[in-house]
Amino acid sequence: MLQGSLVHSGLENVYWGLMIVTYPYISGLVAGSFVVSSLSHVFHQKLFDDLAPLAVLVSFALLLAAPLTVLGDARQPMNFWELMARGHWPYSPIAFFILIWMSYIVLMLFELYFAFRAQNVRRLIRSQGQSRLYRFLTLGSRNASLAGETRDKRVLMVLSAIGILMAFLFHGYIGFIFGSTKARPLWATPLMPVLFIVSAMVSGIALMWVVNVLVMRFYHRPVNRALANGLLTYLVLFVLLDLYMDAVDFLTSAIPAYTQGPVSQGFQRILMYGPNSWVYFGLQLGVGLGIPLIGWIIPQVRRSLAGGALMSLAVLVGVFAMRWDVVIAGQEQSKISSNVVTVAIPWTGFDSIQTVIGVFAVAFVVFMGLAWVFPWQSWNRIPAAEDQEARETSARQQAAQGIPGTATSEGGHVVS
Amino acid sequence: MGQGDESVKPEQKPVARRRILRQMAIVAISVSAAGTLLRSKAQAKSLQALAAASRKQWKGESRAQVQYYNTKPRWASWTVPQLNVSDGWSEPSGWMSKIENSRNLPYIHDNFNRLLPVTKLPHHWVMVIDLRRCIGCQACVVSCKSENNVPVGVYRTWVQVVETGTMVPDSQGSVVTDQGTFEPNVKRFSLPRLCNHCDAPPCVEVCPVKATFKREDGLVLIDYPKCLGCGYCINACPYDARFFNPIQQTADKCTFCVQRLDRGLLPACVTSCVGRARIFGDLNDPNSEVSRLIASYPTTHLKTTLGTKPQVFYIDLDGVLAEDGANTFNTLYPYAVGTNTEEYDDLTGKVLLQTPTGGERGTP
Repeated sequence: MLQGSLVHSGLENVYWGLMIVTYPYISGLVAGSFVVSSLSHVFHQKLFDDLAPLAVLVSFALLLAAPLTVLGDARQPMNFWELMARGHWPYSPIAFFILIWMSYIVLMLFELYFAFRAQNVRRLIRSQGQSRLYRFLTLGSRNASLAGETRDKRVLMVLSAIGILMAFLFHGYIGFIFGSTKARPLWATPLMPVLFIVSAMVSGIALMWVVNVLVMRFYHRPVNRALANGLLTYLVLFVLLDLYMDAVDFLTSAIPAYTQGPVSQGFQRILMYGPNSWVYFGLQLGVGLGIPLIGWIIPQVRRSLAGGALMSLAVLVGVFAMRWDVVIAGQEQSKISSNVVTVAIPWTGFDSIQTVIGVFAVAFVVFMGLAWVFPWQSWNRIPAAEDQEARETSARQQAAQGIPGTATSEGGHVVS
Repeated sequence: MGQGDESVKPEQKPVARRRILRQMAIVAISVSAAGTLLRSKAQAKSLQALAAASRKQWKGESRAQVQYYNTKPRWASWTVPQLNVSDGWSEPSGWMSKIENSRNLPYIHDNFNRLLPVTKLPHHWVMVIDLRRCIGCQACVVSCKSENNVPVGVYRTWVQVVETGTMVPDSQGSVVTDQGTFEPNVKRFSLPRLCNHCDAPPCVEVCPVKATFKREDGLVLIDYPKCLGCGYCINACPYDARFFNPIQQTADKCTFCVQRLDRGLLPACVTSCVGRARIFGDLNDPNSEVSRLIASYPTTHLKTTLGTKPQVFYIDLDGVLAEDGANTFNTLYPYAVGTNTEEYDDLTGKVLLQTPTGGERGTP
């Protein structure tokens, strides 16, 4: 028997539930973590070189998990093939999904290949051509030289530059899904794509801060404090931008004199004085923007790891609250009834907290798999053979002197 | 002895192997048998439950239909009619083309400007609702439910009975409450609502899989088997005319009773309207009743500013209800309000939405 939010009764309901809150959240994390990787790839900030491979993996794992949320919210998910067979683009914003998502996947595959190619080839060489995994991941490339690595970096720069555009497109189109719905006064604003992209940057940077620290702790490595503080600086810059966007949004939708009647009525009735006021003022503005800004002002907080963790987690919570305030609050405004629509989120079943946890679990498992396959660890990086020549000659001398087990494979450049 | 040992060992080995193989086979067979037994038991139980539920739900249906519903519970609905071909109904695969579009009218998913009468189209179906004649009896709601088999809790058409205005504080007033005594300075309306079959329908334009479409004669319809159930059209409709059908789990809406219309009958709500408040007809025919009504009376639409070009015309519609109904009236009849709104809370104190988190939302 059908239960939970599958059963709709009455004239008005919140049709897009928690899964659609999670969809822009996850896609925002995709876009944000990709931009963190492009800080190294495009903008050549040496500080973030160690984090860039990890950011690519996080972004790819979340990208694979993102469509699960939409499929989980659809009532007939087995009809997904119709999206490809008879997609209604360019008229329907949702129909863009297949196009944008698939091209983003292809781009991310290229990005994964070029980001790890040199390391994979060197690992193949180290395994003396025996490792099937690295033979597959290198796709026939056997160039382990320093020149090849610099060429990879040039390719990565171009790919990441396109990727930033793709990330903005991927996330901006989700904002446009809401911004183009003129039946919902709280959604129908041209600010929506920009609001989404800015908060995506914020949440992606915060996620990468948390992931970086967690991974370092997991491997018992010292956390690179310069890197963490650099990320925090970017985080606060984007939080300021987010604050600006929220202020613009507030002015153009909350104040009756500045906007249309239904917009200000809905905003005041739902977000200012209504059921979502604590989410808006408490979580989105207070926790999501207030805590990182206040934490940044206090030097003891911003310099400590605990303070950074507090700021990052607060931002992650605040951005989720922002998605909630868009998706749920927009639907709580009634179209034809005379009051606010009520919403109840179930713990288990369709469109529930359980399914959201499941989607994040899928993303985590995919990330674990990717992190196991790809050599992203900065401390396990194999330097190019040119860098090793000096070491090799000394090793040969040692071998000539009769010390066993130190000779490397000859040349080190090419294996069959 | 040494020879004996050697001769015994090769004999013992195959015996042991055989024994192990036999044990493994027995274990595997017993495990699979137990599994099948358990599974068949569970299946029988669930089938029994399904059959009982369907017996409850589909009391009047034939045995074959009940079996069909049991095998495909999510599609257990009227969207794929299991009807007798000799009655004029086609097979499920062809129902869309043969039943709902016998004249092969083109479907339009976007660029609705092509509907402009450059060439004269055969029909353009519209509805005129004369609010002077509506008494709010809800007969149209009942006939729509029975004609289209609309599930409990959702509506393809409904009549909002509302009042606009204010309650004026007055010591001699007729309304006595805890907050004081009031005299109503209000006006009362019955407002029949249904899909407006817009000429620029946002719901059709946003459908990602072209499952919903505008037929050339003006009807906005849904091809249910293609529906993804994403809910975008439901959110994009400014009139809340669309809903999730809780049985078939797709979007659903008023069709102007297309199954009747294609056979030359009027929509069910029109035939059952006691005061002839609902008038249906062809706007392309200058002699039709709707054309003459629209020509001789001032008519208006709901939410004209959204530019959806609705094709349900209202006579004597209050401007407050037309443009911005949601915050300017009080609902009188709880059975025509959203049972999932705080409005319903105010009227009855409770919302009957079941949540797994514990009990019913709204209970104290």
